[in-house]
Parts: sequence; structure tokens; C-alpha cells
Amino acid sequence: MINKLVAAIKKEMLILLRDRIGLAILFIMPMILIFVMTLIQDSAFKSLNEKGIPIIFVNEDKDSLGYAVENGLRNSDLCSFNDQINGKYITADEAKKAVADGKFLVGIVIPKNATNAIRKNVQELVESAFSTDTITTNKTQSVDSVEVKIFIDPVTKKSFLTSISSNLREFISGIKTQLMFKTFSDQLGELIPEKKQMTSNAYNNTQIITYKEIYASETMGEIVPNAVQHNVPAWTIFAMFFIVLPLAGSMVKEKIEGSIVRLHTMPSSFLLLINGKIIVYVIVCLIQFVLMMSVGLFFLPMLGLPVLDLGNSPLGIFVISLATAFAATGFGVMMGTIAKTEQQGAIMGALSILLLSAIGGVWVPTYVMPDTMRQLSVLSPLNWSLDGFYDLLLRGAGVRAVLPGAIKLMIFFLITMSIASLVNRFKRNV
Amino acid sequence: MEQSIITIENLFKQFKGADVAAVKGISLSIAKNEIFGLLGPNGAGKTTTISILCGLFRQSSGHVVIDGMDLSSNLTAIKQIIGVVPQDIALYPTLTARENLDFYGHMYGLSGKDLDAKIEKWLANFGLTEAANKRVSEYSGGMKRRVNLIAGILHNPKILFLDEPTVGVDVQSRNVIISYLKELNQQGMTIVYTSHHMEEAEHFCTRVGIIDYGNIIAEGTPLELNNKYDGCNKLEDVFLHLTNRSLRD
Repeated sequence: MINKLVAAIKKEMLILLRDRIGLAILFIMPMILIFVMTLIQDSAFKSLNEKGIPIIFVNEDKDSLGYAVENGLRNSDLCSFNDQINGKYITADEAKKAVADGKFLVGIVIPKNATNAIRKNVQELVESAFSTDTITTNKTQSVDSVEVKIFIDPVTKKSFLTSISSNLREFISGIKTQLMFKTFSDQLGELIPEKKQMTSNAYNNTQIITYKEIYASETMGEIVPNAVQHNVPAWTIFAMFFIVLPLAGSMVKEKIEGSIVRLHTMPSSFLLLINGKIIVYVIVCLIQFVLMMSVGLFFLPMLGLPVLDLGNSPLGIFVISLATAFAATGFGVMMGTIAKTEQQGAIMGALSILLLSAIGGVWVPTYVMPDTMRQLSVLSPLNWSLDGFYDLLLRGAGVRAVLPGAIKLMIFFLITMSIASLVNRFKRNV
Repeated sequence: MEQSIITIENLFKQFKGADVAAVKGISLSIAKNEIFGLLGPNGAGKTTTISILCGLFRQSSGHVVIDGMDLSSNLTAIKQIIGVVPQDIALYPTLTARENLDFYGHMYGLSGKDLDAKIEKWLANFGLTEAANKRVSEYSGGMKRRVNLIAGILHNPKILFLDEPTVGVDVQSRNVIISYLKELNQQGMTIVYTSHHMEEAEHFCTRVGIIDYGNIIAEGTPLELNNKYDGCNKLEDVFLHLTNRSLRD
């Protein structure tokens, strides 16, 4: 039995090693894909995580609000701050044109006298509070409003705009509160002169609540999602599933060339022969995995890209990659059993993997997909695997986190093998 | 007649969706150590009959006993004692002849030095030692046929099923193949053989059965059949007399 299995494994390995196109599909194509896709997506991920979105800022106010917004934007991780073009400060119209030309994604203009308008508004509000004259309350409604202009490039994502506008509201509200506090202090100071200095300083020097954005991760450090952290596992999974092509192709060839007929007349079970294929292709998948990880660890950094962070669970990585390998192999065996010709196997295999990978978040991460597609993504085994890798490489989780995904992948393997067995029986039961 | 090694009773096979049965109640007995030729025009039911005997697919009805074992209930045991040489070159083209034979030998349960010795012996017998490490895809048609045959006899089966073993080969290769098959038969191997080559069958087979439209229409030694039908001097005459001269699909 063992001798037969070893012979089946040896035969499969020899056939695979002599199939140069098959080897290229298995190893070179995914490595190229990782390089190309990571380089293409790197800038997109950078705009999200590293440099921030490019913003042009025009401070016509030159007062508290203008400076507060300017400081806030300068210190924000969300944007890449600019207030000059070619070394010159620009006007609101020039800012609008720069955004329209695609030089910046967002332009923000704080209008002239914006702080004064707020100040006037607050002053009248406070005065009305201290006044016994009820008629003054109506005056506040006649004060000029502040109109901050935001120019938007249509390609800018809604989520970025929401962040920018909420930050602006926060700045304006902060300035308003500050001015209100100062005006109250001044009014109180006129009533209680010895408290005047203390109260105004108290507000200026106090920052009770601060914010810091941290990616939720179970590791001690912070793993930032970037093109490498997404693309390396995503395209590795894609490559592992792409073994469907050579695997299904080799099975169809056996049928066409007649080897399978001879094998069916021999005292060896069909399952034993299939096991030989499964073992070889699972090993191939694991080799692919190691190679692709090496690309992320050693080769992508040579191109100035971030180094792949493998998280803190080597066991988790082994479990999810092994389960992925089995799922991919089972899928290949099923395709090879169903297909009648090599063309059928190639077309069905390639299309199904492209579809499952697109749905599963390989091409575009699921978190930027519309809700419907995100719900569909859970049907793809590539998504179960990718989610497992996200758990390990982005969220810093351990082996327990990937077990549900790994179990689903193994169930998928068993289902595909059962379908292959049924199809094989049906075809032989002529 | 020696003891029967294959007994077929009312063998019937109708493929799913087919209007007509491929085999319509064949009954046949093949004796131990016979070279039995199953001859017939295209679509007569030869390959279907042999495929059932080899366990490739099940009969719709009927009874087959091979070496005392019922085919339906002892398929695995029967597969141990039969060898099959299919009409197609059932070899892996990217593997060498030696690698192909090593794989198929293992599938028959052979291994180690015994397998190596058998491979070397047959490669030498069929003049393939020098080309043994070449990929089969680089072989000529005759060389491929010879390796195809070796793959079916490596384990020294009791019964050998040959489906047109010499189709598309040159005279030299055919002579070598026939000569070794006769030698194997003399050593005790029963051979069941199909062919369109009547002259070859006449000289090679000890007995023939002519099959047409799924029925055995004549059975006997080539000489018996020649004598049985008027104006027939050779097996080809008998064959044409019984199956008509009209073209078959």
C-alpha cells in the first residue's frame, strides 16, 4: 500500500517537474503578481495610511480659527498639508483650480474675518446672558455666519471627506468655546477682578481629552495595513488556488491519453492514486506559500516597500496555509474530474478562481467593497483563508482565531472530494 | 478442450441513453492457455466485451466467471491476475519508459529488485534498453506500442487482454510483439485478443469468435471456420462472408 502511494507520489512529482508551463503558473506567475499588485496598490494604501490625502489650505482669516485649523491639519496623520504652490501662498480661486486640476484632493479656505465673526457672535451671546434686557436675545440671530469653503476632487472617498469636515467642525467648535470662555472670563473679571487672570489661563493650558488613532491589534506593536500586508497573503492564496489549472489539466490528460483506463484495470484503488496527487499538490502549495512569504520579507523591501510583518503565531500561519492547500487541491481534483477536455479544465478552473478571488477580497479588500459584495464574500473559500491571514498578520491574533476558517476550508476540501468521487462513479456507471 | 478460465453467460450491456445494446447476450467459454481472438467490424461490441471482462464497467445483465471467481463480487482479486494492454498508448509521455514501467509495476504490487529485474528483462527483450531513459514522447509509434505491452505483462498475469496491440506499428515491431506473446502463451498465459488484422489473427490465435451487432456469430479455430463456410480459404473470407462487405461506422 505504502509502496503504491510512494510510486504515485513519485510519478506525480516527475510529471509536474517536467511541465515547465505548469511550474511557471505555479511559482513565477504569482511572484510577478505580488510584485506588480503591491507596487500598484502601494500608493493607494499610502494615501490611506502613511502620507495622508493631499490638501491645499488657504488661510484668509489670519486669526485664531485660521491658525487653529492650520495647526490641526499640519499635525493630522489624515492629510498631507500644503499652503503654497511653487513657493507662493495662493488665493481661494487658485486653490479651487488646483483641486480641479487634480493636484490636490481637497482644498480648504478659511475666509477673511472668520474668527471675528465667531468672536462677535460669542460676544453678543455672552452679553445677552449677562443682560437683563430680554430684547437682546434676538440680536444674536442677525450676526454674520462663517462660511468655510471645501473644494473636493470627485475621486476623493466619502470617508476621507467625512473625516476632514468633522475635524473642521471640531476646530470651529473649539475656537468658539475658547472665545466664549474668554468672554465669560472677561465679563466675570469685571465683576470679580482678582479671578480674571486665573480663569483665562486655566482654559488655555488645559487639554482634557486627547485622541490617538491606533489600529486594533492583539500584538504589542502596531501593525499598519499596507499594500504588502494585504497583497502578499492575498496573492499567495490566489496562487495556491491556481494549482487547479495544472492539477485539473494532469487529470484530464490521464483520461485523454488512456492512462486512467489502464489504472482502472489495476488492483489499486482510485483513491490511492488521487491521494498521490493530493499529497504532491499540497506540498506544492506549501512551497508556494514559503516562496511568496519570502518575497514579502526579503524582495519587496528592496523596492522600498514595507517589510511583511508575519504577526506572532507561526503555528497559526501553518494551520491556515495547510487548510488552504487542502481546499485548493480538493477544488482542483473536483475540476479535473468534471472536465472532459483540457480546454474545459483550463477555462472552468481559471474562471472559477478569478471569480472566487474577486468575491473573496483578493483583488480589492473586502472592507472597501459595497455591503452586498461584502456579504457575498463569505461564500468564497479564498475569503476564509484571507480573513485568517488578516487575523494573524494584521490583528496579531493567535492560532485559535484562524481555527474556524481552517475548519471551513477542510470541510470545503471534503465536499469537493465527495463531489469528485460522485462524478467519477457517475461517469463510470455508463 | 482444457478447463475454462473465462466463462461468459448471457452477457448483456446497454449504455445509458443508447437506443441499441452494445452486447446482446453473449455466451462464451475461453480455455486456459488459449489465444482467443475476438474479431469483428467497428462497433460490433469487441471493446465493450473486453472492457467488462477487465472491470472497466459493469454489465447490464449476465454472468462472468474468471479463474473460478465471479466478476461482480471479486473484481479486486480478478484484477490481480489479469493484464490489460489498451488500444490507446496508455503511458505518461513526459516520463521515460523505465519510469512508466516502474509506476505501473508498483500499481500491480511489484517493488524492489524483483520489479527492477522484470523491467530490465522486458526492456531488453523488446530492444528498448538503450532508449529506456528517454521520454516516451520521443519514441516512435512501434516503440510506444512495445512499452504499452510491457506495462501490461510486467506482473506476469494469468490472463492477458490485448485490444488491438499491433495497430499502427511496422512489420518488424509487429513480429517482435507477436513472437513474445506466443512465448508468453507457451509459458501458460491465456490471451484474449481483438484485432482488425485478419491475417495476423489467423496465424496468432488458437481459436476465434466473430462478433457482430453485439452477438457471437461464429466460433472455432481458424481452420474450422475456413472449412465451415463454402468458398472461404482464409479467415478474412469468413469474416467478410459473415459480416457483409458494407461499410461500418
